[in-house]
Order: sequence, then C-alpha cells, then structure tokens
Amino acid sequence: MKKFILSAAGAILIGLIIVTVIYHQNVNEVTYPQLGQLNKGQDNQNSQNNLEQPRSEQLQPINRNDTITYTLQNNELNITFNKGKDWIKVPVEKDLLFEGEYNGSEQELIENSYVLTEERAAFLYSKGPSWDQKGILVTYSLDQGKTWVTTVVTKPFPAMRFRKIDFLNDQFGYIILSGDRTMSQEYSIVYLTHDGGKTWKATKQPPTTRLIASGGFVDETTGFLSYGTINPEEPNVYVTQDGGETWAHAVFHIPKKYDQIFVQAEVPVKEKSHLAVVVNQGPNGDYAGGEVKGKFISEDNGKTWEFSKEVQPNETAYQ
Amino acid sequence: MKQHISKLTKIIGWILFLLAIAAFCVQLGFLYVDAKFQATYIDNRLFYIINIFCIFSLVLAVLVLLRLTKRFKIVLTSIVVVFIVVQAVMLIGSNQEIKNITSVSPDWKHVLSIKENTETGNAVYYRSYYGILARPKEKLPYETSGEFKVEWLAKDVAAVTYKTADNTIQQYVGTYGDRGSGRSYYYVGAEIHGKWQGNNIEVISDTKGITVTENGESELFDWDSIHQFGTLAVVLKKNDEAVWTISLNENFEVHSAASEKTVGTISLYKATMGDSQPIILRYKGSN
Repeated sequence: MKKFILSAAGAILIGLIIVTVIYHQNVNEVTYPQLGQLNKGQDNQNSQNNLEQPRSEQLQPINRNDTITYTLQNNELNITFNKGKDWIKVPVEKDLLFEGEYNGSEQELIENSYVLTEERAAFLYSKGPSWDQKGILVTYSLDQGKTWVTTVVTKPFPAMRFRKIDFLNDQFGYIILSGDRTMSQEYSIVYLTHDGGKTWKATKQPPTTRLIASGGFVDETTGFLSYGTINPEEPNVYVTQDGGETWAHAVFHIPKKYDQIFVQAEVPVKEKSHLAVVVNQGPNGDYAGGEVKGKFISEDNGKTWEFSKEVQPNETAYQ
Repeated sequence: MKQHISKLTKIIGWILFLLAIAAFCVQLGFLYVDAKFQATYIDNRLFYIINIFCIFSLVLAVLVLLRLTKRFKIVLTSIVVVFIVVQAVMLIGSNQEIKNITSVSPDWKHVLSIKENTETGNAVYYRSYYGILARPKEKLPYETSGEFKVEWLAKDVAAVTYKTADNTIQQYVGTYGDRGSGRSYYYVGAEIHGKWQGNNIEVISDTKGITVTENGESELFDWDSIHQFGTLAVVLKKNDEAVWTISLNENFEVHSAASEKTVGTISLYKATMGDSQPIILRYKGSN
C-alpha cells in the first residue's frame, strides 16, 4: 500500500512538472480567434452585425502553411512574411483588386494577379473614375512592405478579364492582359518591364482575338500566349522570340491518337536544352478521366512542338 | 476514540489523495483540449492554482496516510515548498506578460475574460465554455494600455471600459443573452425607439440617432457612430471615443411587432476610467 501511494505521488509530481513545462511554452501567447470558429450558445455577435458595422477581426493567413501569404479580411489586403505574426497593410483598396470581368467570391486574390515573395510583393489592379478612364496599375514593394511604389502600366484600358503578372528576375517582368470581351472575342496584350516594374512597355498585339487561356515568358525574349477557353479543338499558341516585337503561330504535331484530346496548352518551361509544355484537355476533356495531359517538347525555342508522353494527374510533368 | 480518529483521518487522507489525482487528470485533460480545440483556461492563473492545489492535497494525503520517518517528511515537505514557490513565481510572471481580466457575472453564470499581451497591447476577448474553459472570440479593436474596468450592467451584459495606447477611452461590451426569442437578430437602437428618463438624464432614440441630455446639455449621436454589441447593448461614440453604453435590462422585452407596448428599463453607463454607476432609465413614451 505504502509503495502504491508513494509511487503514485511521485508520478503525479513528475507529471505536474512536465505539464507545467509544456504549458509554460505556450502560455505567453494570446491566441487569436480563428476564422469560422463556431460560437455556441447565446451569442449573437455574428455576421449579421457586420452588415451595419464591420468590426475589425483578427487577421488569419489565407493559407496557414505558407510563411509568406495574405488575407482579405476586414475588407482590406494585408500581407505577412512570417506566417501571420506581423501584418502589413497593402495600400490598395480591396475592391480595385477585383475590378473588371470577375465573378468570384472575393475571398481570395485572383490567381496570377499578384506576386508575393520574399523579394517582391506586387499587385495588379485597375483604377479610374469612370469605365472609359480606367488604367491598369501595379503597386509593389521591394522591402517587404516598408515602402510602396505605384506605377501605371497603361491607360485607358477596357474592362480587364485575363490578368497575369510575373517576374523572372529582379529586373525583367511581364504582364499579360485581356479585355473588352464581346461574346468569345477579346483584345489581349503583353507589357514588359526591364527595370523591376518601374516602367512598362507594350509589346505588339498578337494577331488573334480569341479568348486567352494562359501565357508566360521563359526568358527575356521568348514568350507564349495560349488561346482557346471555351471549346478548344487544338492548342492555339503564339510565340515570340524577340521580346514581343513579332508573334508567330506555334505548330503542334499531335499524334492522331490525341487529336482533339490535348487541346489547351499551358505555359512552357525550360528543360535542359529544350522547352517543354503540357497540353491539357480543356474544360470538357474526358480522355482517361479528363485529367491526363500530353507533354510536348520543342527543340527550336517554341516554334514547333513534338509529342513526348502522357502525364498522369499525380506525376510531375517537368524535370 | 483514538481508533475513531485514525479512521476519520484515513478517510480524509484518501479523499485528499483522490482530489489530487482528479486535479492532475483535469490538467491532463486541459492540455489535450488546449491542443485539440485551442481552448484555454478562462484565466491563465487557474493552471498554477490547480497545480498548487493538486500538490498540496497530495502531500497532505501522503502525510496522513503513511507513517514516514522524520527525515523523509522533511525532504518531502521541502520538495513541495520548492514546487509551490516555483508555481507561484510562474503565476505572477505569466500574469505580467499576459494580463488576465476576469469577472464573474452577478448570478455566477457567465465569466467575462479578456487577456491582454502587455508588451504589444493586443487584447483578446474570450468566451467561456463549461465555466473554466474559454476560447478566443475577437480582438479588441484598439491597442490597449493595460487599464481596464469591468461593470456588469445586467446579469448578462458586461461593459469593459479601457484606455487605449493613444489615450482614448473605449468601451467593449460582452453579451451573454438576449431579450427576444433568442432566435433572431434585432437592433437595440430601434428597440429603444422613444423617450427614456432617469436621474437628470434623458435619452431619445429616433430616426436621426440617439440623443443624450445630461444636466440640460444635449448631444446627438448619429447612427454611424453607434456600435451594437450582441443584441443587448450599444456604445455611443464621438470622435472615435466611447462616450456612453446603453444596455437593455433583464426586464426589457423585445417584441417582433413594433406596435406592441415598450416594456422594461434600460441602463445608461458613462465611459470613464473614474467612478461611474449605471443609471436606470424608464420609458416615457414615443416622441
């Protein structure tokens, strides 16, 4: 009996010390409310209240696993470089980030409409007093939000639909825009910067008015625009090898077996000595489940493309 | 007689022993709940108090139940004293880093809990679950300076008056109930439409906003500067600073039909860090 009591007492004492150590590591933090936390019981301080008086809520990263991320809470854009410990408000009104042809929920930024890395935070948006005077602007920071620069990319620009901004290095970047859509025709154009985003210069317009699906540059001279979003029947890609001075139609040699199956090209990447691109099945593809893509290789810097292999949904396409 | 006493001490000893085990299990359970549901003690100091209680019961139980040598008793007692002192130091230290503002409602049913990080001035309002556990509800909208005053205006309304880092006075209201069916949201400002009177004070709620007349001086707060908390209180603000809190007392009845008679009283509470008592106002009819 004595043994039992003493050993139980010893175990509890040691247990308490361990528990205290664990607790003490966390106690010096005030935990903040989480999004979507259920409020039980008699608690009416909920969203209905926000209609009349938006209340400030604790900021939560849009993606908890990312060190560098953002949030659109409180109707503003805040970014963090340390998993949400510190937040920096971006000096751009939230609504402007969704200007143009957009019909999402405004819960997340439009894909590709921003760059958020350790070296650069840049946001692409549209602003202007009236629809015919709206310009395209980029607001960016190179010192993690301490200072911000806003530049006008172009003005005026019709209602923007497709938008993409990216930088390949600290000097060279590109913006791909489309706008003024009528049915399934629209205007698309690329702007380039060679001074880290201070100034932007328009390239020549590609000779097509189809709807743009994606695009990108692999280096300062070579870029691609991929068209066809609604019912594409074959990849429709324009390539430039002189920094947008001229655009040529790229040729895809598609094996008969994959005719009208691989129809929408994504953005090419550099692979060893050649370029590679995956071509997906578009919005209506149903070949082998619809998620399989075809990989194509170009040995002449993007002018002609040869089929290389099928890429399964769960495998990485590029080496 | 002696046997009787020894039997009684044995029972007490075992009860103490069981209490110690129970307290230990509570702590283990708490750690699990904390990790899984981000629930914490309503007041961080509780953790250390439960630890001290646990070890205290445990030692008393051991001393009562077992015949130990004097030397062993001394060793045991000194271990425990050291343990309790360490816990007490931690308790005081943790409260200097995270200041707990805890207040229990007059009917002991609700606990208002605010935890303030004294270094950053960030304060978070917690809602209580099962009495001693709490989860963060929202961050107070201003950086706090560490001065808080809590006043329960009703059994389920706690007004927190606090000073911000830039020396303004703000009020935050914790609400734990409802005056309607509990199923629908309503606006306090609309529910108190009409004229209210109390000691030297008159409040009029109409389409323009809420007018407070104190000692003959009137001040109108338009609807944009009136902030509602839950369904029980509004805070009237001027120049981004709280001036008054108006809350619905327990006898106030919210009707779904506007035509029904206004029943019950409201409380008017001044936003000041000094002494202030809630003033009860009675309904004096529509304007």
